Amino acid sequence: MSRPRLAIAGLTACSGCQLSLLNCEAELPLLLERIEFQFFPLACSPVRIEGCYDAALVEGCCSTAHEAELLRELRDHSRLLIALGTCAAWGGVATLRNDTPRKELRRQVYGRHPLPDDDVPRPLSAIVKVDAVVTGCPPEKHELLALLGDLLRGNLPVRGTAPVCTDCRMRENLCLLQERGMLCLGPLTLGGCAARCPSLGVPCEGCRGPAPEANVAEALELYCQNGFDAMTVTGRLRRFCPEWNHDQRA
Amino acid sequence: MPLFILPQTALEPFMERLRTVGELHGPLRGSDDAVRFSFLQTGDQPDLTAVRSLLPPKKYLLAPDETILTYRPAAGYQTPAHETGPLILLGVHPCDLAAIAYLDRQFLADPPDPTYAARRKRLILIGNSCTPDNNCSCHQRPSALSTNCDLFLYQQDNGFLISVETPHGERLCQSLGDLLLPAEDQQLPPSSRSNFGLPLPAPSANELDAHLPDWQRLADHCLGCGACSVCCPTCSCFEILEFGGLDGCSAERLRRWDNCLFKSHSEVAGGHSFQKDRAQRFRYRYRHKYRGYGQLQGVPSCVGCGRCRAQCPTGLDLRPLAEYLEKERP
Repeated sequence: MSRPRLAIAGLTACSGCQLSLLNCEAELPLLLERIEFQFFPLACSPVRIEGCYDAALVEGCCSTAHEAELLRELRDHSRLLIALGTCAAWGGVATLRNDTPRKELRRQVYGRHPLPDDDVPRPLSAIVKVDAVVTGCPPEKHELLALLGDLLRGNLPVRGTAPVCTDCRMRENLCLLQERGMLCLGPLTLGGCAARCPSLGVPCEGCRGPAPEANVAEALELYCQNGFDAMTVTGRLRRFCPEWNHDQRA
Repeated sequence: MPLFILPQTALEPFMERLRTVGELHGPLRGSDDAVRFSFLQTGDQPDLTAVRSLLPPKKYLLAPDETILTYRPAAGYQTPAHETGPLILLGVHPCDLAAIAYLDRQFLADPPDPTYAARRKRLILIGNSCTPDNNCSCHQRPSALSTNCDLFLYQQDNGFLISVETPHGERLCQSLGDLLLPAEDQQLPPSSRSNFGLPLPAPSANELDAHLPDWQRLADHCLGCGACSVCCPTCSCFEILEFGGLDGCSAERLRRWDNCLFKSHSEVAGGHSFQKDRAQRFRYRYRHKYRGYGQLQGVPSCVGCGRCRAQCPTGLDLRPLAEYLEKERP
């Protein structure tokens, strides 16, 4: 089996997704043996994009012209491009916004010396073709390792569709939404995290982004019936993903 | 079937005696007030009057997520080793017993599922009578499924009437001899168990359900959270996932609970889906629950435990539909 050549890069994000990979200490020796990490600025230098990569794993959303250029360059040099983590997949916290015009915000923050470029932060798929997504803030270790196992075999990862609720019920947790009246985003959020937060009594914040079949319209009605105002709910929804289709039912 | 009386005061020593036979599990109320089937340590008080546990006892037979096959170059293909030694489930309600009877028909049929068979073999079942609540439907919709178990406890004032149902149960009772009182002149008290094991005709195959606005109404309100099938004692659909190891040659095959209301459940290679929208999937789910499916066509799989209704965040209920569609059957 030939060693796949990978590029791993970060755009606007906290580097947490890449760190999660570096935190797989037990597996690192095997990974280094099996995979060529050709471009991985967070872990090793020199850092130059050259040649052809079997896959580029990109963390973060794209928020500057420079990042868009880097992203296109990675795309051009890679057979596959994979969005690593929620920011890359959905935008994440860097795309968190209210409805204040961008121009006004720039004036408030930077006064008379605005920054030269004015890109709206966007997920990778707004700029380039994305072949696969491994979501999560950060992605689960087992998902990262499964991704690398798939790439070793020339496959793309299979993506689950079940929401956090399914994981949560499988762990036999009491429903925080139903029994505690909490604003839990479990029904709308893609699972795979073994319901980490609800299992500790903390409602789901939606950090893994929307589940593909989320019934957004019904969930909004339910939150409203439970006494949450639209502003609170919308604010919570936008924390990790700025664009929700509020009319989506399936 | 021989009957004995277990006085309430003898319950604790009864459980202590059971612990010498096997690992004892039963319904335990947690600090969050929810009831779960759990390991009962000495001193733990099982809640034998609880209406229902969050998950049914199927979790002892089919794990939510488990490795069913591994491949390693040196060892070849290997199936996981299973725990042996008796596991006693105390306080299983008639509906959950009927559900196990249904799962047995599915997973012990030819060829048996090795994982299920190994786990089923070590189970000792002690049933328990219960009082149905508004979410239950065993009393509205009786079942042909049997409530087989080794011992059955009928709750009565100041204790239980124990019915001995299998040779295994009989052996258990012999070892409990000094704790039990004879009850020769007693009749079996009325209980929810009498809603099961009835000689009922198979449900009619009417086509009233072909085009109903109800499917779309249910679909519109369904959050797609998956709770209904996770908590259903007879839902046993699963997906198979395979993961390749980082060494490039080992691999693992996983079995994970699935839900027929998910689009991915009816998707096949090439992206084709047999049940494109959620309304269609509701009809499919209904048919499985009330009319049976595949080799168990004609055997309704709903045992009326009420978990799906109790746990649905939007309160969806298939009972009114069943009343309309299955009216030809008692």
